[in-house]
Amino acid sequence: MINSIIRYIIIFIILILLQVLLFNNIQFSGYVNPYVYIMLLLLLPVEISPWLLLIVSFFTGLTIDFFVGTPGLHTSATVLSGFVRPYILRLISPRDGYDQGAVPSMETYGFRWFLLYTVIIVLIHHFALFYLEVFRFSDFLRTFLRVLLSTLFSVTFILLAEYYRKDR
Amino acid sequence: MRNLLNFLARYNNLIIFLLLEGIAFYLVVTGNYYQNSLVLKNVRAVTLGIEKKISNTRTYLNLHDINLKVAQENVELRNRMERLMKSDSQLFSSVKDTIFQQQYIFTRVEVVNNSTNRQKNFFTLNKGIKQGINVDMAVISLDGVAGIIVSSSNNFSVAMSLLNLDFRLSARMKSNGYFGSLSWDGRDIRYAILNEIPQHVIINKGDTVETTGYSAIFPQGKIIGIVSDFEKSGGDFYKIRVLLATDFKKLNNVNVIANLRKTEQKQLEKSFQ
Repeated sequence: MINSIIRYIIIFIILILLQVLLFNNIQFSGYVNPYVYIMLLLLLPVEISPWLLLIVSFFTGLTIDFFVGTPGLHTSATVLSGFVRPYILRLISPRDGYDQGAVPSMETYGFRWFLLYTVIIVLIHHFALFYLEVFRFSDFLRTFLRVLLSTLFSVTFILLAEYYRKDR
Repeated sequence: MRNLLNFLARYNNLIIFLLLEGIAFYLVVTGNYYQNSLVLKNVRAVTLGIEKKISNTRTYLNLHDINLKVAQENVELRNRMERLMKSDSQLFSSVKDTIFQQQYIFTRVEVVNNSTNRQKNFFTLNKGIKQGINVDMAVISLDGVAGIIVSSSNNFSVAMSLLNLDFRLSARMKSNGYFGSLSWDGRDIRYAILNEIPQHVIINKGDTVETTGYSAIFPQGKIIGIVSDFEKSGGDFYKIRVLLATDFKKLNNVNVIANLRKTEQKQLEKSFQ
């Protein structure tokens, strides 16, 4: 128990540092801004109680907000993703359900399941984030393109990271 | 009562969600330019320490470019000084009172945090109220216009970058003096859009676009960029793409410009509105 909490704290720190030091500086033509810190929410145990998940997402978003200087922006997107995660997990649950104490991972549930799971949640997160950021519906399509392209990059990174995590 | 408790127990997650989301939205709406939220300001002091380290490293890597630019600027200033001294000594030996005529004060400031990859970009400067920097002052880089101060604390200030969807600047063509409104469309960090130039005006690729000084924030004649291409959008106006002179990716040393006569101008203008 304590062990896994420490593990999650380490993952949290690594993801925040990666986001702030590396991914916040990435820029391809203004369309691609990957936000990979959302991976923390993906990795939390399946059976974590929804309220705890919400609070974890709240503080994850808040931490990013402090570094980026956008109060509430990342927080609201992350809280939304934390809220929908249990429903998504139920929606795409494998045929014989989740095991006791299971952790969503590529290793246990296969590449396709993990890809679907990641894409849905990252898409929801990015959708909320980018539309809240511009805070207007003019240029709807351009923002939508940004959502799609950034999602592509975030998902790619998360899958790569998950793949290497599996090896360890 | 039991019904109420049942209700709460059943929807407790939804309630927590709405509560947290409410807090987040409150932050988004009230603190959008993050100068309002005091909490953030205090906590940001912590993260600013880290950001300062990052920006120090970056400055070090850019040192060569900066040196070249400073040397060039030195030459220009020396030339100007030479000219002024010559012209002074020609007819009368007059004492030039530099303070009386002065309208703008320049301060050298360093950028400690900068973003370019969002739709609403800001950058943080390492001087604040104590060093005389205040809201609504202009920020220019060594190359051209960079932004406007939107908030300052004791030792830091935050400027809205030109790369911000909310940024508007009155700009004119240097060749013919027609002015329009310059803004960023959120696409490419190297280009901004100049609107409201009427279509009968002759413009060419490579024309210089500069500030007008109408807003009493920027002095007039500061370079913004050059025309890269233009098209006739609907209506009677051109839509001109301006290649920005400032490279926002390596914003390091900037100047903050204070207009000493701004209040006077604003007050006078106010009486006619």
